[in-house]
Amino acid sequence: MPERIKHAPLDSKDLKHPAAEIRLIKDQCKGCGYCIEFCPKKVFEESDEINARGVHPPKIVDESKCILCRFCTAVCPDFAIYVVEKQPNGERKT
Amino acid sequence: MAEKKESEPKQLEEPRIGVYVCHCGLNIAGSVNCEEVAKFASTLPHVVLSQDNRYTCSDQGQEGIKKDIKEHKLNRVVVASCSPRLHEPTFRKTCEDAGLNKYLFEMANIREHCSWVHLYDKESATEKAKDLVKMAVAKVELLEPAEEIEVPIERKALIIGGGVAGIQAALDLADTGYKVFLVEKEPSIGGMMARIDKTFPTMDCSICILAPKMSDVGHHPNIQLLTNSEVKEVKGYIGNFHVKVLKKPRYVTKDCSACGECTKVCPIVAPNEFDVGLASRHGIYSPFAQAVPATYLIDMNLCLNKEGVVVCDKCIKACERNAIVFEMKPETVDLEVGTVIVATGADVFDPSTLPNYGYSKFPNVITSLEFERLINAGGPSGGHLLRPSDIQTPKSVGFVQCVGSRSERNGRLYCSNVCCMNTIKDSLLIKEHWPDTEIYVFYVDIRAYGKGFEDLYNRARKAGVKFIRGLPSEIKEDRRTHNLWLMGENTLQKELYKINVDMAILSVGLESRKDSEVVQRLLTLSRNQDGFFLEAHPKLRPVDAATAGVFFAGCAESPKDIKDSVTQASAAAARAGILMAKGKVTVEAITPITFPEKCQACGLCVKVCPYNAISLNKELKRVDIIEAACGGCGTCAAECPFGALTQSHFTDKQIIAQVDALTEHDADKKIVAFCCNWCSYAGADFAGVSRMQYPPNVRIIRTMCSGRVAPKFVERAFARGAAAVMVTGCHLGDCHYINANYQTQKRVERLWKKMEQNGLNKERLQLLWASAAEGERFASKVREMKTIVDAVKPEEIEKAKKIFEKALEDN
Repeated sequence: MPERIKHAPLDSKDLKHPAAEIRLIKDQCKGCGYCIEFCPKKVFEESDEINARGVHPPKIVDESKCILCRFCTAVCPDFAIYVVEKQPNGERKT
Repeated sequence: MAEKKESEPKQLEEPRIGVYVCHCGLNIAGSVNCEEVAKFASTLPHVVLSQDNRYTCSDQGQEGIKKDIKEHKLNRVVVASCSPRLHEPTFRKTCEDAGLNKYLFEMANIREHCSWVHLYDKESATEKAKDLVKMAVAKVELLEPAEEIEVPIERKALIIGGGVAGIQAALDLADTGYKVFLVEKEPSIGGMMARIDKTFPTMDCSICILAPKMSDVGHHPNIQLLTNSEVKEVKGYIGNFHVKVLKKPRYVTKDCSACGECTKVCPIVAPNEFDVGLASRHGIYSPFAQAVPATYLIDMNLCLNKEGVVVCDKCIKACERNAIVFEMKPETVDLEVGTVIVATGADVFDPSTLPNYGYSKFPNVITSLEFERLINAGGPSGGHLLRPSDIQTPKSVGFVQCVGSRSERNGRLYCSNVCCMNTIKDSLLIKEHWPDTEIYVFYVDIRAYGKGFEDLYNRARKAGVKFIRGLPSEIKEDRRTHNLWLMGENTLQKELYKINVDMAILSVGLESRKDSEVVQRLLTLSRNQDGFFLEAHPKLRPVDAATAGVFFAGCAESPKDIKDSVTQASAAAARAGILMAKGKVTVEAITPITFPEKCQACGLCVKVCPYNAISLNKELKRVDIIEAACGGCGTCAAECPFGALTQSHFTDKQIIAQVDALTEHDADKKIVAFCCNWCSYAGADFAGVSRMQYPPNVRIIRTMCSGRVAPKFVERAFARGAAAVMVTGCHLGDCHYINANYQTQKRVERLWKKMEQNGLNKERLQLLWASAAEGERFASKVREMKTIVDAVKPEEIEKAKKIFEKALEDN
């Protein structure tokens, strides 16, 4: 369809964006950078801090961009990342 | 094919020419002394029979010719009467019936080009008629018999575009029994009609009447549907097109049951293009509920799984039938088809280029297409009229007509045909459901020209829709409420208005597809100045393209409503069906003749051929001609610097013989005019039909295209002492042979340069573009040239003779 889109979807306010809470176990990280490399939404970036293993763990740039695909959890060799979904009523679901 | 004609044809027998000068009642005899012309003709070489008769085209006249061919052993026939555009087929048939090859017949046009345009100068008209007969006799002597070749036609059709026109054409052809390939670049067929809510004037639900047809297409055994696909290459010619189609992957196989479970889990959300962005969709989606094929697809621009790395497998997990395959690759499909129907449709005008209407700046200014989605029960609002700013039902609505149409300043010059009725239909739809809504329609003219249209217009007026003549010059927004102020002049009451509405709908026009150029190039089509595809004849061949075997349906040809699109689609299907039913096609024997011994394999002819019908064979140092693809313009023959190519039935020798015949006497008073069969010759015919009078010193030589006029013909005319030469053709861009007349322009410009360099008055060579309707343009040009001819001094004639001396050596 060649028309240029000029209006936001009428349901844009009601669209539920999955809210994620990303948990990093920083001291478990060995700094391989897989999460930074493979996150499709580019949520991570290398941080300046140094962890217990003497490497730079990732930091979260924008948590709201996370769409809960949990690929970071899958690729992390050290089980240092997991993601929980925030429910509207404040509950958490892993 | 080329081998057959390699050697110079031998003159097998002495020409025995019969000349028939027609009185056409008093149409010709009124201003031409026909007896004298016939008497003159009998003195010409090889003429064994010459007579004048009242109506040559009557049964009696034709029988006479047939009898003479047998009795007098005539092997060439000249009829001096009306335009060959009118009666050449008639007399060709007469010759054929008498056993004479139809290519051994020639006409002299002494009615449209002589008696009718020189009504009050019988002497000059008679002299001119003699000249025209002499030219015809000179040409007929050199004519050769020719056989028309037959080309087989593949009984399959390609339809480009799966809108309502493409769907209708596909169903018609498939039901007739032909195999059809329907190529659609979107994921579903349906086109614009699938997006519209109701149709005018009957107020039928658009998708309800279209969906059964779409589903028929999906299930028809004779139709192969290629969605998400684009035509990438078309080679070949009528009956034998080789087509390459790129089929983009859907990443979902046919096992998809369209349950929609995948969509629910897909984390990606984006605006849905089908709803012009007014609703959202997911990364895996179906564009709309009635989509055909119903198979879902994945938008790879959005999906997280790029390049085979499966990052997110939510849809895969949700799909019970394992229909999602991320490894799918684009594939190229090769098709062999005999005919092509172009049903590529139209785009809607983008009003964001008009700053005064504030579209895309003010949320409550929307286009008519967005409105269609808004009021559609299957659309983003479920059929509730809502305005975008606050999702509330508007109390007052203003429709602005002609947005992007009929304006030199704002968009396009032409009327888009459908917007008036669409607005009237939309206003009635609002009135039906929300009768208290105030509706204003700002218009230039309401064009309710079709069956039932005026009734609908009256219904809208009775329902209380206010029609105000005069478009708003500006739309302003109240920042707080997002209501709109429409300001302009009511030109009927001659007063200014400033009207407050909750929502404004811009009735946008239709324009040619932005990618029409691609289809144009693939199929060597022409487009008019508005960008729509040009038909072969605006009245009598409205669905045929200039390229043989290609037809148009729907908005690709011009903006039209659903009914007209469907009508045209059925017409195109019928036209394509005729070809395929016959299974073969004959090509007029006006294709090039090659002389391989002269060919230097320079490839100039290959470059100028508008049909890609010539290919260079470097190894054998010659060119190969695909006669079935050849349009017959002859521009290759005019381009060849070595005389290795000529056009059958319009050979160099024949045309030069005509030039020589007319320049034999009083050349210094005459204008040699080359006219193309389709535009300028027809324009000169039109001047005759309209009895436009012009000086009798012009002699017209007909070629199929102005592109056939080789510089040496012009040089020959000057070398023979002609006072002036006129090369005429179709307007640039309107060439019957796609673009061959651009070559004409180049050649004439080169000749002008040569004349200037040699100190000749270049005004003696004129180039005129005149359409078949521009008789007056032709006539006034001849009048204008009369003054040029009168001013030419004898020494200038002599000088030109010397400069172009070389042209006499030829032949």
